[in-house]
Amino acid sequence: MTTYAIADDIAWVSREELDAGGLPVAYVAPLPHGPAVVLEGSACLVWLLVAQGGTLEEIVEEAAELAGLAPSEVAADVEVLLTDLVAMGVVRTQ
Amino acid sequence: MRGWHHVGMTAASHDPGEPASAKAVSIPLAARVHLAHAVVQHLAERAGADLLHIKGPALLPDLRPATRSSSDVDVLVRPTHLHLLVAALEGAGWTKRSDFATGSVFAHAANWWHDDWGYVDVHVHWPGVRLPPEVAYAAWSADAETLDIAHVPCPVPDRTGQLLVLVLHAARSTDRSDVEYAWDNADAEQQAAVRTLARTLDAEVALAAALGELEQFRDDPAYELWRLFSQGGGTRFQEWRARFIATPGTRERAQLLAASFRVNRDHLGMELGRTPTRRDLRERQLLRVRRAARELRGLLGSRSGGTA
Repeated sequence: MTTYAIADDIAWVSREELDAGGLPVAYVAPLPHGPAVVLEGSACLVWLLVAQGGTLEEIVEEAAELAGLAPSEVAADVEVLLTDLVAMGVVRTQ
Repeated sequence: MRGWHHVGMTAASHDPGEPASAKAVSIPLAARVHLAHAVVQHLAERAGADLLHIKGPALLPDLRPATRSSSDVDVLVRPTHLHLLVAALEGAGWTKRSDFATGSVFAHAANWWHDDWGYVDVHVHWPGVRLPPEVAYAAWSADAETLDIAHVPCPVPDRTGQLLVLVLHAARSTDRSDVEYAWDNADAEQQAAVRTLARTLDAEVALAAALGELEQFRDDPAYELWRLFSQGGGTRFQEWRARFIATPGTRERAQLLAASFRVNRDHLGMELGRTPTRRDLRERQLLRVRRAARELRGLLGSRSGGTA
């Protein structure tokens, strides 16, 4: 079963760690050269779930629950985002 | 969060290699400083350079107000590892903006700039500490802890060391907010530990200046220096004179004198927005000599009761 986790040598900080409120945002940077990427809204939500680690199904399920939607409504977006994050090297699969 | 929005991902750099669909956005300063601490830690580890992250995000959360933000990265590097860190920074695209000899009256820090990560201030010792820098670093790092900054483990001084860094920093200005927030909120046991560390580092005079206890050290060679700083600084001549008196050793004093009169090429470059020419430096040096002469005449006049 493939699980997703944040790759090694990645620095990131989310808006919740900097100030309260506002749209969820995470700033993610491969070390040491970047470039930094901004993950906003639902993308940040998925990133925070990846930080916990999990399979595609687990992340979809949790994201859907947090968004108050059915897993089928968010699955495609989550999968595309995870594929992009893996391609960028900021998320690894194992 | 309720609802599902289109997945938003944008590149925050100006890297020409970024995808065409990515929109260049700027990262808020607070986020950039967090990421930059992580970048510096990453580089230092790979270069084998020991350092401690100080101030800003490197402080324990209860030692600084939530509203207080930092604009650059501050690190204290093991002095004998400085060359390793500098090579790593410059190899990763940082360029030096000010040098140790010209950065401040204490010659304690130099800084580097990176277009994506901003400024990093590299300190080899902390103003107020009179132990030799290498010995002092060992004391600062003896009880170092690890704090995650941008989810990257970074070595930081322990709580006692962090408090002392803040209070010694406050000794160089009239701003007492750090003292009020960090020192006044510390319990008696914690304050005693800070005083003990200050004794170990031979930093009691600067600590006293920050805490309003400087008169206890009226006979100390560093008294005048810290009196000036805790009152908001004097003229350039007064600062250098006080620094001269506080500096032990003939050779060190000669170096200080030479540095005091040298035009700061780094600062002049920043002021002019270009590399200063020899003519720029000569003109500025002339101005400096004239200003020093004016200040000296003013000082002599005030001592003799005159108005010059």
